[in-house]
Amino acid sequence: MSEVEAGTPAEEPMFELPPELAIDTGVARRVIAQFIRGQLRQAGFERAVLALSGGIDSALVAYLVAEAIGPEQLLCVMMPYRTSSPDSRGDAETVVTALGCASDLVEITAMVDGYFGADGVVGEGGAEALEASALRRGNFMARMRMATLYDRSVTWRGLPVGTGNKTESLIGYTTLFGDSACAFNPIGDLYKSQVRQLSAAIGVPERIIRKAPSADLWPGQTDETEAGFTYPVLDRVLFWRVDRRRSVDEMVAIGFERALVERVDKMVAGAEFKRQVPPIAKLGPRTAGVDYLYPRRRPGSARP
Amino acid sequence: MGNRLGGVQPLRIALAQIAPRLGDLEANLTRHHELIAEARRRGTGLVIFPELGLTGYQLQDLAADVAMRLDDARLAGLAEAARGMSAVVSFVEESADHRLFIAAALLEDGEVRHVHRKVFLPTYGLFDERRFFAAGDVVRATPSRLGVGIGLAVCEDFWHMSTPHLLAMDGAHLLINVSSSPGRDLASTHEVGLGTAASWRTLMRTYAQLTTSFVVFCNRVGVDESLSFWGGSEVIGPTGATVFGAPMFEEGLFTADIELGDVRRERITLPLLRDERPELVAREWGRIVAGRAGLAEDGAS
Repeated sequence: MSEVEAGTPAEEPMFELPPELAIDTGVARRVIAQFIRGQLRQAGFERAVLALSGGIDSALVAYLVAEAIGPEQLLCVMMPYRTSSPDSRGDAETVVTALGCASDLVEITAMVDGYFGADGVVGEGGAEALEASALRRGNFMARMRMATLYDRSVTWRGLPVGTGNKTESLIGYTTLFGDSACAFNPIGDLYKSQVRQLSAAIGVPERIIRKAPSADLWPGQTDETEAGFTYPVLDRVLFWRVDRRRSVDEMVAIGFERALVERVDKMVAGAEFKRQVPPIAKLGPRTAGVDYLYPRRRPGSARP
Repeated sequence: MGNRLGGVQPLRIALAQIAPRLGDLEANLTRHHELIAEARRRGTGLVIFPELGLTGYQLQDLAADVAMRLDDARLAGLAEAARGMSAVVSFVEESADHRLFIAAALLEDGEVRHVHRKVFLPTYGLFDERRFFAAGDVVRATPSRLGVGIGLAVCEDFWHMSTPHLLAMDGAHLLINVSSSPGRDLASTHEVGLGTAASWRTLMRTYAQLTTSFVVFCNRVGVDESLSFWGGSEVIGPTGATVFGAPMFEEGLFTADIELGDVRRERITLPLLRDERPELVAREWGRIVAGRAGLAEDGAS
């Protein structure tokens, strides 16, 4: 793959791509562009809106949407909190400038601090919330961003596009009704390694591809130090377990550490609820999602 | 049939590689009429639309809402519009006893000449067809105004070797598969960048060669929900050689000219069908079927 070999021989490769995960990026771009256009058309929309963090996932989706419908139809909303890295903001602005799409800046600091409080001043969440864990704060931030994005989708008249990848969805490294909320997701079936490969092919700035992935919920946080394994390793485990249906014993025979496989299995099982629509108690003759089964978009469902 | 088989007039086939609107029968019907008219302007003898081209694929409970009886005036209208040509269209057929089938119909001389009801309904992986549809029970070739036998099949029907085999043995010279094949598996090792496409391409060439028939594959494009359909419609000659390949993912009416005489030439050169042993196959199948039903004598299964 030319993407892997990008750069001069003396340089570090931009990213590590396990060979079994390599995709045909040309076909991927065509499928995704058709998917984005199809989703918008069926819903009666021409525009799209997404939350741009400065990280690789949302940068890639911005490039894909711009390629599918043109940058003038895309609004990227940047929603930093007061502790968010200034570098993330700078990287997001690089993407906006490179694409020539519209952008909005909405600080979520007042919304988040209004609930948890700040500097010893109690917020709407009560005194206890002043001591809230980083996890609670991170989830709350993700949901404030979601609320903002959906409001912006009204004023921009565009559908919110999801930016979560397959790796984080499978292990549950995502906030329910937060960053995972969207009208449709073009990259939700791509592992992080494949996100990197496609990003390189479509021209996402190298700096964004190279930097350590981070939820940026607190200064210095990175996904890989938090999880304790690297994305190429995690992606391979998930690929062989999920896509190639290998048993734990077979995984060990291939050369994976049993403890690692079992730990990843547990994360995947524990996150099942995040990937599905909540169950409705079956009471009536026809129940949505059980025996009332219609496509999301059908005649009459498009916005006029 | 066969009076024109050795003829020298090429047959122009038009492949309508369309993106049907899900559940919108009227919009799709309009599109069919437009493309039939365009096919006529381009001198087409046979125009083919993909599986469920009149309704879209991922219908779920909409299937009952878009179903048509075979005497539906809209089908008669299409047949009338295609008069002077042969046309293959696909839709949800409702039988008199209210079963819903995925059907493909050959329209000729202003009428429905032949209907094939999809026999194999995939209900695994991303597919859930058996939940919403009844399975057809018949695989049969039909004579046509083109002077050759035509064998109709729908998508998954061609993932079972028995279908092309039966159609060819029943007199088809031209095997037509209409599909709504969702693309998947982008592994970079695939010949054309898409696992689904690579598999189908292998099947088409194999069937054409083994049945010494033309194989025509008409696949849709566009998106239903999560699924992206990849197009790549093809015409394969009776030697297994590619006559025409439409681009992947692009909507359009693509035409290809074939020499129907190629079937006769190939079957004289390579008389595989002459040497088939249908009585042996039927006998062995009889034994195997009995065995699977637990009716075989001891040790026979």
